[in-house]
Amino acid sequence: MADRGVWRPPRTCEDYWSEWKHCKGIRNLFHNYYTYGEAPSCGQWKIDYGNCRKWEKSKSPDAKESLCKSERARLLEKQKYDPVWQLRKSPPRDWYLPLGQDKPK
Amino acid sequence: GPYAQLLLDAMKQSGCTVYNDRHFACEDCDGCVSGGFDSATSQIVLCQNNIHQQSHMNRVVTHELIHAFDHCRAHVDWFSNVKHLACSEIRAANLSGDCSLINEMTRFKFGLKQHHQTCVRDRAIRSILAVRKVSKETAEKAVDGVFDSCFNDHEPFGRVPHSKSDAKYAYRNFQNRDRYYANL
Repeated sequence: MADRGVWRPPRTCEDYWSEWKHCKGIRNLFHNYYTYGEAPSCGQWKIDYGNCRKWEKSKSPDAKESLCKSERARLLEKQKYDPVWQLRKSPPRDWYLPLGQDKPK
Repeated sequence: GPYAQLLLDAMKQSGCTVYNDRHFACEDCDGCVSGGFDSATSQIVLCQNNIHQQSHMNRVVTHELIHAFDHCRAHVDWFSNVKHLACSEIRAANLSGDCSLINEMTRFKFGLKQHHQTCVRDRAIRSILAVRKVSKETAEKAVDGVFDSCFNDHEPFGRVPHSKSDAKYAYRNFQNRDRYYANL
Protein backbone atom coordinates (compact mmCIF):
# COMPACT_ATOMS: atom_id res chain seq x y z
CA MET A 1 0.00 0.00 0.00
CA ALA A 2 1.54 3.28 -1.09
CA ASP A 3 1.07 5.88 1.58
CA ARG A 4 3.26 8.36 -0.15
CA GLY A 5 1.53 10.00 -3.06
CA VAL A 6 -2.18 10.15 -3.57
CA TRP A 7 -4.27 6.99 -3.41
CA ARG A 8 -6.32 6.16 -6.43
CA PRO A 9 -8.49 3.18 -7.28
CA PRO A 10 -6.46 0.11 -8.34
CA ARG A 11 -8.14 0.25 -11.74
CA THR A 12 -9.61 3.13 -13.71
CA CYS A 13 -13.38 3.46 -13.38
CA GLU A 14 -13.64 2.71 -17.11
CA ASP A 15 -11.90 -0.62 -16.44
CA TYR A 16 -14.46 -1.57 -13.79
CA TRP A 17 -17.28 -0.66 -16.16
CA SER A 18 -15.87 -2.59 -19.11
CA GLU A 19 -15.08 -5.63 -16.93
CA TRP A 20 -18.71 -5.58 -15.79
CA LYS A 21 -20.05 -5.31 -19.33
CA HIS A 22 -17.68 -8.03 -20.51
CA CYS A 23 -18.67 -10.28 -17.59
CA LYS A 24 -22.39 -9.91 -18.24
CA GLY A 25 -22.16 -10.54 -21.97
CA ILE A 26 -23.49 -13.67 -23.61
CA ARG A 27 -20.04 -14.78 -24.78
CA ASN A 28 -18.73 -14.76 -21.23
CA LEU A 29 -21.82 -16.62 -20.04
CA PHE A 30 -21.04 -19.33 -22.55
CA HIS A 31 -17.29 -19.39 -21.75
CA ASN A 32 -17.92 -19.57 -18.03
CA TYR A 33 -20.36 -22.44 -18.45
CA TYR A 34 -17.92 -24.22 -20.74
CA THR A 35 -15.07 -23.76 -18.22
CA TYR A 36 -16.76 -23.93 -14.81
CA GLY A 37 -20.17 -25.40 -15.47
CA GLU A 38 -22.03 -22.38 -14.16
CA ALA A 39 -22.98 -18.81 -14.91
CA PRO A 40 -20.47 -16.12 -13.91
CA SER A 41 -20.97 -13.81 -10.96
CA CYS A 42 -20.66 -10.25 -12.19
CA GLY A 43 -22.32 -8.09 -9.56
CA GLN A 44 -19.12 -7.17 -7.75
CA TRP A 45 -17.75 -5.36 -10.80
CA LYS A 46 -20.78 -3.10 -10.83
CA ILE A 47 -20.42 -2.41 -7.11
CA ASP A 48 -16.74 -1.61 -7.63
CA TYR A 49 -17.59 0.72 -10.50
CA GLY A 50 -20.06 2.55 -8.26
CA ASN A 51 -17.46 2.92 -5.52
CA CYS A 52 -14.86 4.08 -8.01
CA ARG A 53 -17.15 6.86 -9.23
CA LYS A 54 -18.07 7.71 -5.63
CA TRP A 55 -14.39 8.09 -4.81
CA GLU A 56 -13.85 10.28 -7.86
CA LYS A 57 -16.75 12.56 -6.89
CA SER A 58 -16.36 12.84 -3.14
CA LYS A 59 -13.18 11.02 -2.03
CA SER A 60 -15.41 8.90 0.21
CA PRO A 61 -13.33 6.78 2.63
CA ASP A 62 -16.06 4.13 2.61
CA ALA A 63 -15.80 3.82 -1.16
CA LYS A 64 -12.01 3.48 -0.89
CA GLU A 65 -12.31 0.85 1.82
CA SER A 66 -14.90 -1.16 -0.13
CA LEU A 67 -12.82 -1.06 -3.29
CA CYS A 68 -9.66 -2.22 -1.55
CA LYS A 69 -11.56 -4.97 0.23
CA SER A 70 -13.05 -6.17 -3.04
CA GLU A 71 -9.73 -6.27 -4.87
CA ARG A 72 -7.98 -8.01 -1.98
CA ALA A 73 -10.71 -10.65 -2.02
CA ARG A 74 -10.08 -11.16 -5.74
CA LEU A 75 -6.38 -11.64 -5.05
CA LEU A 76 -7.01 -14.03 -2.17
CA GLU A 77 -9.28 -16.08 -4.42
CA LYS A 78 -6.35 -16.55 -6.79
CA GLN A 79 -4.01 -17.57 -3.98
CA LYS A 80 -6.28 -20.31 -2.68
CA TYR A 81 -4.06 -23.15 -3.85
CA ASP A 82 -0.50 -24.04 -2.87
CA PRO A 83 1.89 -23.63 -5.81
CA VAL A 84 3.41 -26.76 -7.25
CA TRP A 85 6.82 -25.21 -7.77
CA GLN A 86 9.10 -22.64 -6.19
CA LEU A 87 9.27 -19.25 -7.85
CA ARG A 88 12.66 -18.02 -8.97
CA LYS A 89 14.31 -14.91 -7.59
CA SER A 90 16.21 -14.35 -10.83
CA PRO A 91 15.87 -15.68 -14.39
CA PRO A 92 17.58 -18.92 -15.46
CA ARG A 93 21.34 -18.52 -15.84
CA ASP A 94 21.47 -19.94 -19.33
CA TRP A 95 18.58 -18.02 -20.89
CA TYR A 96 20.91 -15.78 -22.88
CA LEU A 97 23.81 -18.18 -23.35
CA PRO A 98 24.64 -18.54 -27.06
CA LEU A 99 23.59 -21.85 -28.58
CA GLY A 100 26.31 -24.43 -28.97
CA GLN A 101 27.61 -23.83 -25.44
CA ASP A 102 24.68 -25.90 -24.12
CA LYS A 103 24.33 -29.64 -24.03
CA PRO A 104 23.06 -31.12 -27.31
CA LYS A 105 19.32 -31.89 -27.37
CA GLY B 1 -1.47 -11.56 -31.41
CA PRO B 2 -2.45 -10.36 -27.93
CA TYR B 3 -1.73 -13.75 -26.30
CA ALA B 4 1.88 -13.81 -27.42
CA GLN B 5 2.33 -10.10 -26.79
CA LEU B 6 1.31 -10.45 -23.16
CA LEU B 7 3.54 -13.48 -22.64
CA LEU B 8 6.53 -11.76 -24.23
CA ASP B 9 6.04 -8.66 -22.08
CA ALA B 10 5.63 -10.74 -18.94
CA MET B 11 8.78 -12.67 -19.71
CA LYS B 12 10.70 -9.48 -20.37
CA GLN B 13 9.55 -8.19 -17.00
CA SER B 14 10.82 -11.41 -15.39
CA GLY B 15 14.24 -10.97 -17.00
CA CYS B 16 13.79 -13.30 -19.96
CA THR B 17 13.63 -11.18 -23.08
CA VAL B 18 12.81 -13.37 -26.04
CA TYR B 19 14.93 -12.93 -29.17
CA ASN B 20 13.53 -14.64 -32.24
CA ASP B 21 16.85 -15.85 -33.59
CA ARG B 22 18.02 -17.14 -30.20
CA HIS B 23 14.84 -18.51 -28.66
CA PHE B 24 12.91 -19.84 -31.65
CA ALA B 25 13.82 -22.63 -34.06
CA CYS B 26 11.88 -24.06 -37.00
CA GLU B 27 12.48 -27.73 -37.64
CA ASP B 28 10.97 -30.75 -39.30
CA CYS B 29 9.56 -33.03 -36.62
CA ASP B 30 8.51 -36.65 -36.36
CA GLY B 31 4.89 -37.67 -36.13
CA CYS B 32 2.20 -35.09 -35.46
CA VAL B 33 4.03 -32.99 -32.89
CA SER B 34 3.49 -29.27 -33.49
CA GLY B 35 6.20 -27.87 -31.29
CA GLY B 36 8.08 -28.05 -28.03
CA PHE B 37 10.05 -26.14 -25.44
CA ASP B 38 13.63 -27.29 -24.92
CA SER B 39 14.60 -26.24 -21.40
CA ALA B 40 18.21 -27.36 -21.94
CA THR B 41 18.71 -24.69 -24.60
CA SER B 42 15.89 -22.29 -23.64
CA GLN B 43 14.47 -22.66 -27.13
CA ILE B 44 10.98 -22.97 -28.55
CA VAL B 45 10.89 -25.41 -31.43
CA LEU B 46 8.17 -24.99 -34.04
CA CYS B 47 7.51 -27.97 -36.30
CA GLN B 48 7.34 -26.38 -39.71
CA ASN B 49 6.18 -29.59 -41.37
CA ASN B 50 3.18 -29.97 -39.04
CA ILE B 51 1.85 -26.42 -38.86
CA HIS B 52 -0.13 -25.36 -41.90
CA GLN B 53 -2.40 -22.55 -40.72
CA GLN B 54 -1.73 -19.19 -39.10
CA SER B 55 -4.30 -19.84 -36.35
CA HIS B 56 -2.60 -23.13 -35.47
CA MET B 57 0.79 -21.39 -35.49
CA ASN B 58 -0.53 -18.72 -33.10
CA ARG B 59 -1.78 -21.38 -30.74
CA VAL B 60 1.46 -23.40 -30.79
CA VAL B 61 3.54 -20.28 -30.16
CA THR B 62 1.29 -19.33 -27.23
CA HIS B 63 1.40 -22.89 -25.85
CA GLU B 64 5.20 -23.06 -25.97
CA LEU B 65 5.62 -19.52 -24.66
CA ILE B 66 3.66 -20.57 -21.57
CA HIS B 67 6.25 -23.31 -20.96
CA ALA B 68 9.04 -20.80 -21.51
CA PHE B 69 7.33 -18.37 -19.13
CA ASP B 70 7.06 -21.08 -16.46
CA HIS B 71 10.74 -21.94 -16.97
CA CYS B 72 11.62 -18.29 -16.59
CA ARG B 73 9.66 -17.57 -13.42
CA ALA B 74 9.88 -20.84 -11.51
CA HIS B 75 12.25 -23.67 -10.70
CA VAL B 76 10.52 -26.17 -12.95
CA ASP B 77 12.13 -29.59 -12.80
CA TRP B 78 11.15 -30.63 -16.33
CA PHE B 79 12.98 -33.93 -16.36
CA SER B 80 12.64 -35.54 -12.95
CA ASN B 81 9.39 -34.19 -11.57
CA VAL B 82 6.33 -35.33 -13.51
CA LYS B 83 4.12 -33.08 -11.37
CA HIS B 84 6.03 -30.02 -12.53
CA LEU B 85 5.71 -31.09 -16.15
CA ALA B 86 2.03 -31.83 -15.59
CA CYS B 87 1.47 -28.38 -14.11
CA SER B 88 2.97 -26.58 -17.08
CA GLU B 89 1.04 -28.77 -19.52
CA ILE B 90 -2.21 -28.09 -17.71
CA ARG B 91 -1.52 -24.36 -17.86
CA ALA B 92 -0.54 -24.48 -21.53
CA ALA B 93 -3.66 -26.42 -22.53
CA ASN B 94 -5.82 -24.13 -20.36
CA LEU B 95 -4.50 -20.76 -21.44
CA SER B 96 -3.46 -21.13 -25.09
CA GLY B 97 -6.85 -21.75 -26.68
CA ASP B 98 -6.00 -25.44 -27.26
CA CYS B 99 -9.29 -26.37 -25.60
CA SER B 100 -11.70 -23.94 -27.17
CA LEU B 101 -15.05 -25.46 -28.09
CA ILE B 102 -14.32 -25.03 -31.80
CA ASN B 103 -10.95 -26.77 -31.56
CA GLU B 104 -12.52 -29.61 -29.60
CA MET B 105 -15.28 -30.00 -32.16
CA THR B 106 -12.72 -30.29 -34.95
CA ARG B 107 -11.33 -33.21 -32.94
CA PHE B 108 -14.86 -34.65 -32.77
CA LYS B 109 -14.93 -34.18 -29.01
CA PHE B 110 -18.32 -32.87 -28.08
CA GLY B 111 -19.20 -31.60 -24.65
CA LEU B 112 -20.38 -28.39 -23.11
CA LYS B 113 -20.71 -28.14 -19.37
CA GLN B 114 -17.22 -27.85 -17.92
CA HIS B 115 -15.88 -29.59 -21.00
CA HIS B 116 -12.94 -27.20 -21.01
CA GLN B 117 -11.58 -28.93 -17.91
CA THR B 118 -11.98 -32.40 -19.42
CA CYS B 119 -10.10 -31.23 -22.48
CA VAL B 120 -7.30 -29.61 -20.44
CA ARG B 121 -6.85 -32.78 -18.40
CA ASP B 122 -6.79 -35.05 -21.43
CA ARG B 123 -4.42 -32.90 -23.45
CA ALA B 124 -2.05 -32.48 -20.51
CA ILE B 125 -1.88 -36.25 -20.11
CA ARG B 126 -1.26 -36.71 -23.83
CA SER B 127 1.49 -34.09 -23.82
CA ILE B 128 3.26 -35.76 -20.91
CA LEU B 129 3.11 -39.13 -22.64
CA ALA B 130 4.54 -37.57 -25.80
CA VAL B 131 7.68 -36.33 -24.06
CA ARG B 132 8.33 -38.69 -21.18
CA LYS B 133 8.60 -42.46 -20.94
CA VAL B 134 6.03 -42.86 -18.18
CA SER B 135 2.91 -44.97 -17.92
CA LYS B 136 -0.50 -43.51 -18.64
CA GLU B 137 -1.36 -44.15 -15.00
CA THR B 138 1.63 -42.12 -13.82
CA ALA B 139 0.71 -39.26 -16.13
CA GLU B 140 -2.93 -39.32 -15.00
CA LYS B 141 -1.95 -39.39 -11.34
CA ALA B 142 0.42 -36.46 -11.79
CA VAL B 143 -2.16 -34.37 -13.65
CA ASP B 144 -4.94 -35.12 -11.18
CA GLY B 145 -2.62 -34.43 -8.25
CA VAL B 146 -1.83 -30.89 -9.36
CA PHE B 147 -4.95 -30.06 -11.35
CA ASP B 148 -6.70 -27.72 -8.92
CA SER B 149 -3.60 -25.65 -8.29
CA CYS B 150 -2.43 -25.45 -11.89
CA PHE B 151 -5.81 -25.06 -13.60
CA ASN B 152 -6.38 -22.02 -11.40
CA ASP B 153 -2.93 -20.52 -12.01
CA HIS B 154 -3.69 -18.07 -14.81
CA GLU B 155 -0.42 -16.14 -14.80
CA PRO B 156 0.37 -13.92 -16.63
CA PHE B 157 -3.19 -13.58 -17.99
CA GLY B 158 -5.09 -13.26 -14.73
CA ARG B 159 -7.99 -15.14 -16.35
CA VAL B 160 -8.59 -17.91 -18.88
CA PRO B 161 -8.46 -16.07 -22.21
CA HIS B 162 -11.09 -17.65 -24.43
CA SER B 163 -10.76 -15.16 -27.24
CA LYS B 164 -8.57 -12.38 -28.56
CA SER B 165 -10.90 -9.98 -26.80
CA ASP B 166 -10.27 -11.74 -23.46
CA ALA B 167 -6.56 -11.62 -24.17
CA LYS B 168 -6.77 -7.88 -24.81
CA TYR B 169 -8.50 -7.37 -21.43
CA ALA B 170 -5.80 -9.48 -19.82
CA TYR B 171 -3.07 -7.42 -21.50
CA ARG B 172 -4.64 -4.19 -20.29
CA ASN B 173 -4.72 -5.54 -16.73
CA PHE B 174 -1.11 -6.63 -17.06
CA GLN B 175 -0.01 -3.17 -18.19
CA ASN B 176 -1.89 -1.73 -15.21
CA ARG B 177 -0.15 -3.93 -12.65
CA ASP B 178 2.03 -1.29 -11.06
CA ARG B 179 -0.94 0.95 -10.34
CA TYR B 180 -2.98 -2.03 -9.19
CA TYR B 181 -0.55 -3.27 -6.55
CA ALA B 182 0.48 0.21 -5.43
CA ASN B 183 -3.12 1.04 -4.51
CA LEU B 184 -4.24 -2.09 -2.74
